[in-house]
Amino acid sequence: MAKKVLVAGGGPAGLGAARVLGRLGVPTLLVEKEDKLGGRPVLEGYHTLIPRKLKPSQVLGPYIKEVEDNPNVEVKLKTELEACEGEPGNFKVKLSNGETHEVAAVVVATGFQHFDARRKGELGYGLYPDVITNLELEQMFSREGKLYRPSNGQLPKRVAFVFCVGSRDRQLGVTNVHCCRYGCALSGLQGSEIREHYPDVDVFCYYMDVRTYGTWEYPFYWAPQEKYGVRYVRGRIAEITYSPADGRLRVKHEDTIVQRPAEVPMDLVVLVLGMEPSEGTKKVAKILGLAQDPDSQFLIPSEESGSNIISNRPGVFIAGACKGPIDIESSLSEGEAAAAEAASFIGAKVSV
Amino acid sequence: MAIHERSLVEPERILRKERLVVEGIDVSGDWNLIILPRVINDYDLDFAKEIINSPDGKTINQCYQCSYCTASCPVHNYWDERYNPRHFIYLARLGMIDELQKRADVMWRCVSCHKCTHRCPKGVLVEEVLKVILRTMAKKGLIEEYPSKKFDKFFTEQVLEYGRIEDGELLFGWIEKQGYKVVKDPILKKPIPFIGETPEWLKELTMKPIKSMNIGFLMLNAKHMLFHPRTKNWNRFKQVLRKVMEEEGALAH
Ligand SMILES: Cc1cc2nc3c(=O)[nH]c(=O)nc-3n(C[C@H](O)[C@H](O)[C@H](O)COP(=O)(O)OP(=O)(O)OC[C@H]3O[C@@H](n4cnc5c(N)ncnc54)[C@H](O)[C@@H]3O)c2cc1C
Ligand code: SF4
Ligand code: SF4
Ligand code: SF4
Repeated sequence: MAKKVLVAGGGPAGLGAARVLGRLGVPTLLVEKEDKLGGRPVLEGYHTLIPRKLKPSQVLGPYIKEVEDNPNVEVKLKTELEACEGEPGNFKVKLSNGETHEVAAVVVATGFQHFDARRKGELGYGLYPDVITNLELEQMFSREGKLYRPSNGQLPKRVAFVFCVGSRDRQLGVTNVHCCRYGCALSGLQGSEIREHYPDVDVFCYYMDVRTYGTWEYPFYWAPQEKYGVRYVRGRIAEITYSPADGRLRVKHEDTIVQRPAEVPMDLVVLVLGMEPSEGTKKVAKILGLAQDPDSQFLIPSEESGSNIISNRPGVFIAGACKGPIDIESSLSEGEAAAAEAASFIGAKVSV
Repeated sequence: MAIHERSLVEPERILRKERLVVEGIDVSGDWNLIILPRVINDYDLDFAKEIINSPDGKTINQCYQCSYCTASCPVHNYWDERYNPRHFIYLARLGMIDELQKRADVMWRCVSCHKCTHRCPKGVLVEEVLKVILRTMAKKGLIEEYPSKKFDKFFTEQVLEYGRIEDGELLFGWIEKQGYKVVKDPILKKPIPFIGETPEWLKELTMKPIKSMNIGFLMLNAKHMLFHPRTKNWNRFKQVLRKVMEEEGALAH
């Protein structure tokens, strides 16, 4: 039996897996499609992470460094999995750089991609410059360090967060009916940051439900309201229009508590993007013959295993956002768990 | 929007104009009736901020609309569904003044039982917050002074004058203020109970306890009615108190 483990994807889940495998002394091959490690949080320049309010470099930096420094882990950037043959315990994998390797097990950590907000035409993304995504807001903070309206560079007087864009939406087909899980909490954090640094800016969150589950309830729902005065308005934004008369946007919705339609002026509107399986995830699913949710196309674990990381294919383990919306900490720990499963699957003799 | 079937629209949303020009075109005549849309065009955040920034209104920000308060509120449960503390909080926090005004006739009905405050899972001081909403509305002339407030004022005046209240005088003074004729004795100018016009309900209400009181206590009450007891050195104190209360706006309305 080959003794090597392939980890596909160098985001939080893949880093978690590669770090544990390296520590256990298992020869590991980490392939990452892009030119650096860290996954979406690093590649896209997230600003501050829920739930600990740390920077991506603080959370993922130590993982990246250890993986890069550990001689047991071989990192291949700008590389993808192309094909896989053979049996569990004895896979022959072909990479996009032409190399072939014999590996005993595979950890899939190919992650997600952001919903393309242009698909919700009525929300005016791509049409009105002051309609941005929550990812662009993160980048505004992390790359430019200030809040402004793209249309005129000025500080907005009002900012609206539109929850559930690309999530919980049958109009998009069966693919986007799930909840993004991070959106409500991230909006709570972003709204609080705006209020903290620009106390004169009024912030509104338009919601159907506020899903800041578990211990996220206080820091990302109660605190934004109580400490920072972020306002929560119940109603899903159904349309965004622009008024040339005052140069401001209008968010159209029914306020479901007041039971009246509303078209309220806003200066900056932030769309809270849903999560979809990445192209890489869908591709790897085909290559490895992994079970996918028929609707969302996310990978699904084997039902009989009772575990969240054991796939339908013996010797293949799945971790992180390739299985559906999930946060970074859980992605890291799923990667770590998948590494432990992979090590035990290949019968690695680990020295502790 | 022009209108075809009047009976289907609330009268306050129908606008009639003698002459109507829309985008330069005179459409008077058949088209001079307009339905105002139901759309909320904006929030009045200045109004909302006045409440949020007042010391007794701050906790309004903590509300997450669970309606524990309304479910517990006797006024909502037994009197009028339009009295809804949870909803008042939502409207006030976004400054939806027209919606609050629609409920102006019921908003003062709180009996201050504090069930709402004692039960709120978010620690909102509901009863206080509702008072701040009313106060702010009254200050801005958005709501008429409500009857219970008139009594509060009368009560406060009594306390300010004597340093304490005297039940009989408070009661008959209030009856007089309500427009009933009260007969007074010619010397001390104090009301003589049950001689003038007294509402029937009040007669019933007061006779019961009076019948069961012992004679000594009745005498004491009668004496107090005739010679209003005062708190010692009250005259000096009351000037200071009145001044402070005026400065704080507590006597303004
Ligand atoms: C706007 C936004 C903000 C967020 N903010 C937070 C936050 O503050 N805190 C938090 O906990 N979570 C947050 N999340 C969720 C977080 O992004 C995910 O939990 C996390 O990125 C999942 O990690 P992952 O490794 O599973 O996937 P990814 O981060 O998607 O990483 C997958 C990696 O695999 C690579 N890859 C893909 N296909 C292939 C292939 N075929 N071969 C090789 N490599 C491949 C990709 O290039 C990528 O580097 C946020 C999500 C969004 C959308
Ligand atoms: S986490 Fe919040 S924003 Fe995201 S889909 Fe769920 S409810 Fe909507
Ligand atoms: S009980 Fe408290 S949190 Fe719930 S609706 Fe009433 S005021 Fe709001
Ligand atoms: S204090 Fe007022 S609002 Fe609160 S429960 Fe009692 S009557 Fe209702």
